[in-house]
Amino acid sequence: MRGQPSNRISEKGLRVWRLYGIIQTFFVLLVAIGVGVLTYIFEWQWYIYVIAAIIVIAYAYFFVYLFPKIKWLRWRYEVRESEIELQHGLFIVKRTLIPMVRVQHVDTSQGPILRKYNLAGITISTAATNHEIPALVVEEADDLRSRISTLARVADDDV
Amino acid sequence: MMSKTRYQLHWITAVMSVLKTLKEMIVPILILVFANGVNDTGKWYLDYLTFLIFGFLIIVFFVTGIIKWKRYVYWFEEDELRIEYGLFVKKKRYIPFDRIQSLDYTEGILHRPFNLVKVSVETAGGSASLKAEAELTAITKEAATVIEMEIAEAKKRKIQGANLDEEFIEEVEVERESLVRKIFALSGKDLLVLATTSGGVGLIISGVIIFLFQFADILPIEWAYREVSVFIKSGLLLVAIAVFLILLVIWGISVAMTFFAYYGFTVQIDDEDIVITRGLLEKKRVTVPLNRVQSVRIVENPFRKLFGYANVVIDNAGGGVVGEGAKINLFPIVKKEAINTPLGELFPELVLEKPTNKLPARSKRFYYRIEFVWMVPAVAALSYFFFPFGLFSFLIVPIVISWGLWHHRSAAYEISGNQLTMRFRAFSLQTVYMMKNRIQSMEMKQNYFHRKRKVATVSAAIKSGMGAFYAQVKHMEEEEAERILAWYEPVREAVVVEDLDIEQ
Repeated sequence: MRGQPSNRISEKGLRVWRLYGIIQTFFVLLVAIGVGVLTYIFEWQWYIYVIAAIIVIAYAYFFVYLFPKIKWLRWRYEVRESEIELQHGLFIVKRTLIPMVRVQHVDTSQGPILRKYNLAGITISTAATNHEIPALVVEEADDLRSRISTLARVADDDV
Repeated sequence: MMSKTRYQLHWITAVMSVLKTLKEMIVPILILVFANGVNDTGKWYLDYLTFLIFGFLIIVFFVTGIIKWKRYVYWFEEDELRIEYGLFVKKKRYIPFDRIQSLDYTEGILHRPFNLVKVSVETAGGSASLKAEAELTAITKEAATVIEMEIAEAKKRKIQGANLDEEFIEEVEVERESLVRKIFALSGKDLLVLATTSGGVGLIISGVIIFLFQFADILPIEWAYREVSVFIKSGLLLVAIAVFLILLVIWGISVAMTFFAYYGFTVQIDDEDIVITRGLLEKKRVTVPLNRVQSVRIVENPFRKLFGYANVVIDNAGGGVVGEGAKINLFPIVKKEAINTPLGELFPELVLEKPTNKLPARSKRFYYRIEFVWMVPAVAALSYFFFPFGLFSFLIVPIVISWGLWHHRSAAYEISGNQLTMRFRAFSLQTVYMMKNRIQSMEMKQNYFHRKRKVATVSAAIKSGMGAFYAQVKHMEEEEAERILAWYEPVREAVVVEDLDIEQ
């Protein structure tokens, strides 16, 4: 059995994901309210209210509580001298191995929500694929970016 | 330095650009003309307004075509191919000879009479930002040779710069000449098999449908519907025959197209490059440097396999946007037993044996179980609503299961030294040969059920043009998946040196 990569992403990442979940739930709620209003006007069956309510509650449970938690617990990464290893996934756990010699460039990026929490994401690009580490504290992300690019520079770029 | 000679493209370029724009405009023109028709308002300029507008547009295209051609120049300076072009905004593109990976030639019908070629400059674009391809729409063959010579000379100068031994260079040159040799040629019989079994049929059918939909607005649907119903009443047999004839014609077109495209297909090896030539009406010559080949794939379509045929595809790291691009048909059709000799000649380092490691029996279920998610409701609904004939839908279950088992049986993998071989089936069976240093990244995937049963999916990403190709063996033994990942994992520096020693 392979050992898990050692590093976790920032705990604040979990909060950001919860926030995304809340925003999504809000839109689901709007739709549910719309359906409720229509049901009231056109006097549809009463159980439509129940279904709408259940959907909203279930959505909130899964996307605000459960999924972000699993995702966060699962997310691990490790940057070693000659390779980067990632582990992530909600239902399907994916373990990715990227040799340093294959890394072409590293970017950090930050949306408005991530910026508010002082977080940033790192995208590692090979000649063919892109891999993202989603939520790291900005300093850590910058650090990691420069570390990866120094390590990657050692390698020749024989695609 | 303005003293460098600047070359222009052949004037046929202007004609080609006009024709190209017209081809793109033809559908809107027809629709507008039909939709508007010729009204009779008494004022001639209103009656013919659409024609006037399009006439004007055509003149504009013609003029811009000529200006574009006039302004497009290329020249060689400081070991770069420099191009200047643009209608309103003058654009310049400098491509260092170092980055030029190959020149691909195409001779279309319009090129032939003037002895011209279209030259696509393929560059080793590592990432999208470095993309610097160019296309010289029509230049004489002599001019194309001049470009080739300029590049070759520049490369020679570079070698000379590195080591000043003149004689050595000459020796290399002599050796080079003798290195051009033919590897593979498509025989007439094979070409016929290829054409007749070409999978282009679906493509053409959808093309026809799309073309018809373009006209759907202006076609008198109701009238057509009445005609069709009369037609159907006149006998189902007739309808069947008509459909069959239409399909036959479409198939005939596809056969002819494949035949023209692959006529005279040959693969040559020229020093470090694979050179592929093909085509009857439109002659193409594509060059792929051997060190840009990322993987070799043997694809066995079940229909072709019946006759003992397969085809071989290679993934090329270069180009991708202009010209042939990523996936190159190395041997479009070849007898299974005749693959290894030419392929071995091209890639002597490849181990071309069949992968022997199969999947464990316990992973069988993963190949079909997921399908029950849609099968159960579909079968239940069909049986309920279309009782009793709906019960026939139960037949889908054994079909889907055997389909899954077929995939399970086909999957295999093998590690031999620095090479990973993966075999898997979509509809066609694919055997992918890749070297460790060509795999961009690797992934092992497991869901909850996988973990419980100790199986995992392994996928390897290969660069193919600007994108990626993923070779994956699904639901293999977990330990084996980890073994493959461990094999891929770069070893520590000290061990790497040892490895290299063994290789040499």
